[in-house]
Amino acid sequence: MAAAQPVKEYFQLQYRMMNRQFQDLGIQPVLAYLFLFVGFVAVSTYLFYKTELAQYIYLLSAVSLISGLSETRRNDFLKLCFGDGKLKRLRLAENFIVAFPFLLVLLLKVQLLSALTLTVIAALFAVVNFRTSINLVIPTPFYRKPFEFTTGFRNTFYLIFIAYALTIIAVAVGNFNLGMFALLLVFAVTLTYYTQPEHQYYVWMHNLSPKMFLFRKIKTAVLHSAYLVLPIAITLGIYSPESIDVLLLFLLMGWAFLVCRVIIKYAAYPDTLTIPQGILLALCFGFPPLLLAVIPYLFSKSENRLSNLLK
Amino acid sequence: MIQIQHLSKSFGAKQVLSDISISFDKGKVYGIVGENGAGKTTLFRCIAGLEEYEGTISADRVPLKNHLGLLLTEPFFFSKITGAEYIRLLCNARGTKLTDIESRNVFDLPLNQYASTYSTGMQKKLAITAILLQGNDYFILDEPFNGVDIQSNIIIEEIIHKLRELNKAVIISSHIFSTLSDTCDEIHLLSHGTFTRSVLKEDFQALESEMKSATLGGKIDRLGLV
Repeated sequence: MAAAQPVKEYFQLQYRMMNRQFQDLGIQPVLAYLFLFVGFVAVSTYLFYKTELAQYIYLLSAVSLISGLSETRRNDFLKLCFGDGKLKRLRLAENFIVAFPFLLVLLLKVQLLSALTLTVIAALFAVVNFRTSINLVIPTPFYRKPFEFTTGFRNTFYLIFIAYALTIIAVAVGNFNLGMFALLLVFAVTLTYYTQPEHQYYVWMHNLSPKMFLFRKIKTAVLHSAYLVLPIAITLGIYSPESIDVLLLFLLMGWAFLVCRVIIKYAAYPDTLTIPQGILLALCFGFPPLLLAVIPYLFSKSENRLSNLLK
Repeated sequence: MIQIQHLSKSFGAKQVLSDISISFDKGKVYGIVGENGAGKTTLFRCIAGLEEYEGTISADRVPLKNHLGLLLTEPFFFSKITGAEYIRLLCNARGTKLTDIESRNVFDLPLNQYASTYSTGMQKKLAITAILLQGNDYFILDEPFNGVDIQSNIIIEEIIHKLRELNKAVIISSHIFSTLSDTCDEIHLLSHGTFTRSVLKEDFQALESEMKSATLGGKIDRLGLV
């Protein structure tokens, strides 16, 4: 019983920290949990109604959240605090808490294979430290402009390879939709490269005006994402030439969202995304033509936010 | 030249810098000393334009920040970026074309490994290398000798001498007085947000003795060590 006490206290601390985060955002924790629950149920219902790929989306979303908990420095710190034995129990509990809602939905929708895969991955990520055992410098095609895509690619290369594998499967079984899912997966992954605002020093050091800085960021994002998505797009274009219009449309939308993500990061800089900005982004996902108005608006907001650091 | 006039900075009710006026000429090395919390880092951040402030900071090359190499006390590194990529990132930011990084790696750093896995001293050496290769005219080095091995200390001191020869303005803070007395032309003592003493090379030893007696003042005896 006594041995379980530190682990229990760890989770109590996590719970208090999460509550504080909600309070800092000006939301009552109870309301936040209720909102999250309702939102999750609504999104699940919509996704499973809308697409057959929902189970894969759920699987990947859960794996992506779980892999975030496996970050090396975080685990080293926990190991120092709890020791090897307790760490494994703690990590197992953590992974299954995160995976639980996704597992529940997958089981309710009788997607047993996906549910089983998720269970195995959650357990595996808790007991195996992938990042320390693969401590090598992963080569990237982004060496000329190293930053978001270099670090991002090295953290998420396995998701990119999964997307490429899905593309090959899509071509082999003649499933264009699966190929499109792979394309969107790569775009979704690249969006995550712009979630964290960088240290002020990395903005300050540029001898560019805010406008030129943003243009350079956008140019790099579009160019580097092209390296990753074009192999999928070209493959799909060759094997499904009749759907080239849909493909181009999704490519354009992917890049538009990427541009929006880059700009929205600096519209809140040096803070993370604010709630109204998050809502704006969510509205754009629901109604993409909104991007035409949102991008210029956020661009000018970003220019203002950067004007203190860039002259 | 960097000219600072009536610089003041406060964080809320806490006044950190109070009516500071000083100038830093090219071809000279300036040391800034002061106890923890005296305002050294805040002064550097104001000069760099990382903080808003009252007063004026002007320079002969504008904007100053685009010609300034800033070494932070604890340089920040991304988790998955190699030493060579870090240098390239900083040089790209200034539009400096970079060739043959390896031959300019004077500290023999493992540039193909992730910078975040470097020791504190190696990270500092990497950050110094990067700001040197940016081709700046002014340098602010906040604790450049901290955590760095003795061999690298010798190299850094020589680099500072070389920067002076090249007519650059260098401002250093350090808690190791000997490194400052070996490298600086002037030392300024910052205390409670204002410069209380400024001395030239010939008076460095006197300043060190004064600081020692003012700091110690029988404190060690109070420990009652037997």
